Amino acid sequence: MMTRFTRPLALAVTALVAPVAAQDLVAVRAGKVLTGTGATMENAVVLIENGRITAVGSDIEVPWNAKVIDATGKIVAPTYVLAHTPGGLSGGNEMMQNVPFLTVQDSIDPSSLFFEEALRNGIGTAHVIPGNATLIGGQGMVVRPFGKTVEDMTVVDRGGIKLSLASGRGGSRMAQMRKLRNALDEAVRLRADLARKKEEFDAEKAAGAIAEDKDFEEKADKTKQPVIDLVEQKITGFLYVPSAAEVPEVARMVEKYGVRLVLVLGPRCYKAADQLRELNLPIVLDENAIEYTERDPETGEETVVCQAKILADAGIEFAIGVSESGRSAERYPWWQMATMVRHGVDPATAMRALTTVPARILGVDAEFGSIEVGKVANLQVLTGSPLAATTWVETVLLEGEVAYERSKDQRLQLLFGGSEGEK
Amino acid sequence: MKSTFLAAPIALALAAGLAAQDRVTVFRGAQVHPISAAPIQNGVVVVAGGRIVAVGGADTKVPEGAQVVDCTGKFLTPGLVDAGTTLGVAGQDLNEQGEEVTPHLRVIDALDPTDPRLSRARRGGVTTVQVNPGNRNVVGGLGAVIKTAGDTVAEMLVQDESGLRLTMGSEPSSGNRAIRGGTPVGIYYRRPTTRMGVVWEARKAFYDAIAYQDQKTVPEGDPEMTGFDPGMEVLVRALRGEVTVRTTARAEQDIRTAIRLAEEFGYKTMVEEATEAWRVVDDLAAAGIPVLVAAPSRSDAPEGADVRYHTLNLLAKKDVPFAICTGADEGSLGLANEAMFAVRHGLPHDRALRAVTLDAARMIGVEDRVGSLAPGLEADLVIWSGDPLSPTSTAEAVYIRGQEVTP
Repeated sequence: MMTRFTRPLALAVTALVAPVAAQDLVAVRAGKVLTGTGATMENAVVLIENGRITAVGSDIEVPWNAKVIDATGKIVAPTYVLAHTPGGLSGGNEMMQNVPFLTVQDSIDPSSLFFEEALRNGIGTAHVIPGNATLIGGQGMVVRPFGKTVEDMTVVDRGGIKLSLASGRGGSRMAQMRKLRNALDEAVRLRADLARKKEEFDAEKAAGAIAEDKDFEEKADKTKQPVIDLVEQKITGFLYVPSAAEVPEVARMVEKYGVRLVLVLGPRCYKAADQLRELNLPIVLDENAIEYTERDPETGEETVVCQAKILADAGIEFAIGVSESGRSAERYPWWQMATMVRHGVDPATAMRALTTVPARILGVDAEFGSIEVGKVANLQVLTGSPLAATTWVETVLLEGEVAYERSKDQRLQLLFGGSEGEK
Repeated sequence: MKSTFLAAPIALALAAGLAAQDRVTVFRGAQVHPISAAPIQNGVVVVAGGRIVAVGGADTKVPEGAQVVDCTGKFLTPGLVDAGTTLGVAGQDLNEQGEEVTPHLRVIDALDPTDPRLSRARRGGVTTVQVNPGNRNVVGGLGAVIKTAGDTVAEMLVQDESGLRLTMGSEPSSGNRAIRGGTPVGIYYRRPTTRMGVVWEARKAFYDAIAYQDQKTVPEGDPEMTGFDPGMEVLVRALRGEVTVRTTARAEQDIRTAIRLAEEFGYKTMVEEATEAWRVVDDLAAAGIPVLVAAPSRSDAPEGADVRYHTLNLLAKKDVPFAICTGADEGSLGLANEAMFAVRHGLPHDRALRAVTLDAARMIGVEDRVGSLAPGLEADLVIWSGDPLSPTSTAEAVYIRGQEVTP
């Protein structure tokens, strides 16, 4: 059976997932189910048919012909969703700064360690998009960290388009803003130009100067089309905002160009919490933007600021990122969530920042982000609390199929010394 | 553990009228981890005059008029001890590159009490640290043990000379260039340029020290040779076992070299940053050499050394004494979180906690002062919001010698 995801992120995209030979019936017996919607069920069964969840509850009879996944004594949670990551790309940014025509489809490396590590850590869906060191960096796509080709991995083939307010390559903030406005102005002009030409064409056609069977065929420069799509709200801009100082420009952009934006916040945006709340745009906290050590330039004194806590207290909802680097603890979802909880964010909010909120930001919340009837069966079996350092991901199911098993994770076994480690 | 040690000194102190710092403070209600004894639920720790005077259960006798700190629901541990750092020393001050062998240099001469990394460590519950010179020299100099709070180095000092840094591997030779014609104008025109050269520089230093020592014992020795040489003096002390040689060795071959050199010259050593200790564990056990493992959260290490998650478990199993430190990369996660990663990788919780307290203190020879909670020891305490090795816990209050320190 083919699993189809029909809610496109942006354009009318043929959303698709390569079919996996889903076994018809799968039953996960869970010690505890964290549904991701706030509900918790003890000793529950998640029933999966053709890759979708058909029943969740403690009074469900397991059909005789179902493949049973035993997670008794363990915790079953939805797999995590990353709303924004430059992971898995060979080179997150093109040297050229204004490259809206690029797409990560040409850069995603299915054998990248990032995807392997993502799956190992319970990430089931990721919006891969160019990095922040850019002006207009190109287009992203939503993938699952499983598959041998980009096509195998594709969930939504056209994600958002990357924009950045961080002055890259040694430029100044004012230059960056000017350049971004110029690019958007140009798109607006091109669009108007095209509309005018179409109008003229139609008038000429009506006057009989153009044959009846001819249609208006002129198209905008392909390299500019994605920005035109942006000002036409056919694609969502994922705008990196490095600090509070750039937030007013965000408001201007929204007002002047009417673009649809998701804000990817850097670590120094918390001072604009009030403005951010007023803007009411979807927010992703970049991997390093949850907790931030601020140093007073005068006294040298350091203060640890938890931006996630400040935003949560201001009533702002957000998704969070994880690091694409294999070196830092920030690559672990448990560490990222625990960092927020350590600063007083409630655990349910922390969990939502990697499940339902990013799913909504990506427009795939009808499919992913929680364990509910009708949703795609992307589940992870955890050995303990999702916030504990001692918890490991035991099994990952993507679309009802086992995509990861810790007992068969050779790299992890090697890190534990393989058979030597048992001695 | 119940303590009836509610000592006479307190009574005396009370009678004499207490200076503020001599006030008796009672920490009550926490889950107390003395480290040297089993954890105590609803425990009591009594502190006076900067020292611990009693550690026990809820019924521990407490003097009247003592100031009580309510720690209900909290965890209380000794201040953490980081046995291998470069905290307090600016990057450019770590390596004196005029020579390859500089045993006479002392890290305390470069210590900056206002280094923000010290307050970062303090915030994370670390109260005592071993500070080392850098690894760019073959013999880098003498380390020191300090507290993480204080306005002056003198105030912070626990041991002014602690451990002599020796570095194996390619770090001391990295960036060096051999003189091939031309004029040797830069300091980078220096030796050694290979691993062989590094080991030779070390070996030569100890040969020289032996010769120096021999000359000193000859009554009519050559005055040129018997002149006072501070560097040689330090190496001689190392040869006599008065100073521990801290050998940085990450890759297997370098760890083996570290063991071999120590056997050759008979000095006391420990292996620092021992990433590939898992490959050499039997030899380390046989030689009785303690091991410092840096930052278990890291998935890679310098020198291309292979990280393995079971390293600490293996060291524990084979009874190799070890401690967990933050190492050269101390900025990363903080010591408690590094111990947390050790638990994630399978080291028992109590063992991981010990590896950043008592075992670390033993490693640097200050276990009679810090690293555990027992009467007579310095009152370095941390009150944690929860299990110190949980990612959701924080150090809520840190005390050094009985005084709460500002983070």
